[in-house]
Amino acid sequence: MSRSALSPAEAIARAKSIAPDALDPSLSRQAPGVLAAVLAIGAIVGMAVSLDVDPSAIGKGWDNIVRFLKIMAHPSDGGMPHRIYGAMVETIAMAVLATAIAALVAFPLGLLGARTIVGNRVFHFGLRRFLDAFRGAPALVWALVLVSAVGLGPLPGVLAMALADIPNMAKLFAEAIENVDERPRDGVRAAGGGDLAGLRYAVAPQVAPVMASQTLYFLESNFRNAAVLGIVGAGGIGLELDERIRVFAFDQVAYILIVYIICVMALDFMSASLRRRLM
Amino acid sequence: MHGADAVARFEAERARLVWRQRAGTFIGLALASAVLWGSVILSGVADQSLGADPWGRVAAFLDRLAPDLRADALFEGRDRPGSIAFWYYDFPRWVAAAFETLQIAILATVFGAAAAATLSALAARNTMPIGAVRFVVRRIFEILRTTPEIILAIILVAAFGVGPLAGLIAVTLGTIGSLGKLFTEVNENVDPRPAEAVRACGGAWAVQLRYGLAPQIAPNYASYALIRLEVNIATAAALGIVGAGGIGLELERAISFTQFDTYLAILLMILVLIMACDLASSEIRRRLIGLDRAR
Repeated sequence: MSRSALSPAEAIARAKSIAPDALDPSLSRQAPGVLAAVLAIGAIVGMAVSLDVDPSAIGKGWDNIVRFLKIMAHPSDGGMPHRIYGAMVETIAMAVLATAIAALVAFPLGLLGARTIVGNRVFHFGLRRFLDAFRGAPALVWALVLVSAVGLGPLPGVLAMALADIPNMAKLFAEAIENVDERPRDGVRAAGGGDLAGLRYAVAPQVAPVMASQTLYFLESNFRNAAVLGIVGAGGIGLELDERIRVFAFDQVAYILIVYIICVMALDFMSASLRRRLM
Repeated sequence: MHGADAVARFEAERARLVWRQRAGTFIGLALASAVLWGSVILSGVADQSLGADPWGRVAAFLDRLAPDLRADALFEGRDRPGSIAFWYYDFPRWVAAAFETLQIAILATVFGAAAAATLSALAARNTMPIGAVRFVVRRIFEILRTTPEIILAIILVAAFGVGPLAGLIAVTLGTIGSLGKLFTEVNENVDPRPAEAVRACGGAWAVQLRYGLAPQIAPNYASYALIRLEVNIATAAALGIVGAGGIGLELERAISFTQFDTYLAILLMILVLIMACDLASSEIRRRLIGLDRAR
């Protein structure tokens, strides 16, 4: 049957049967979509109302924001740049330390959590669920707890970030080890190497770059976290920011934010170029 | 003798390589130790005095964190110490606060995704021909992404007062930053041919968008927005600590009244909320991808 044999009416009918949604504007076909859209908009308006989002509050807040932004347009170090840069260095050091601690603890946990290394099903399941249980708790929550336990300062901040990272890192490490090509290990075994030699000469060369690259990602995210932890008293640049916002010193807030954003971008750039070299 | 010469050369070469590798390892280790040592000094962790008996304090803290539950009174009423109801003494209010957090997260995701979808059209190379506009929009995404939401929230609480509105705006801004970048990448990876086919059939601009582009980008947009919803619930819960509404406010109250068992009760509620939302959203995402495959 050639195409030209179809009459126009037949061609339209056939096109409609192939693509009914596109070519049939009848109400019955459109109704479910329209209904869903109306329901969604209704839900959004309902939520906005229940959160007391009223336009006059937005207007008043907006005036304040404009006032803040006007002050922020003239960044100033407030005459104590050494304090700001000192806090910045402290923040970077906290992130490095927390990442190192987390990697050192997560490495053996990841090894134990990999099914290909530890064959015991029950142990594997138990360890993974144990790690999962802690995966939800963010660094800020740990910091609140640790500040009450060990006092104000950078130590609870470092511990909080490490504790928040360990379960996530261990999971990624375990997955990296499980995804390893098994054949080099068979080769080492065939050449008479033991389990330890298999780990050293077959598994380690495959997983080391992956783990290093993931650790660098955690370093980036820890630097962002470290800037926040100061708000609950756990050291770093967050404390300086919080203090200055509370006294409405927005010129200094802008200065700190600019320095911070430049540091984040520099760190991200360095870790990205390191990662490229690893891969 | 030629053979012995070759063996000697091989041994010399091997020794050189081994030495070089060891030197590399040594330098790497020295460098890593220097960085670690430097960060111990610079972070001030070493200077922090722990005071007397730090482990005793941690133990005392954990003891106060644990709720006072007694087996014989576990399911008794609220005024019986040792029951679950006594531990969760303010449960209805905490549920309302958790619901507020959920609403902040959902609204912020919806508003943020809508704004990011609009702005990403201005940031993608194939939808925005003017380089200067792309540059500006991309830098805006970057700044919003880099500034921690908690810092945004503190500034917004100063402007809008204590309440969920400041939290909603802070989370929305963070969402615009992260989704904007991802949506831009989706836009740039689009296949232009379906839209060209619609145009060739005489379809207008809106029809090209609807039938040429939307089917390609919508599943990716939805999937990214759902992942962001999971992040936003955790963020919205934490933002309450600085006064931006929701369950975090209750958490902060428990801490400042040093009611640590209450703190644990609320923390468990937050973890359950986050886990439930993770499960729901990954289920929806799985179905979206399934639909995508079936198409």
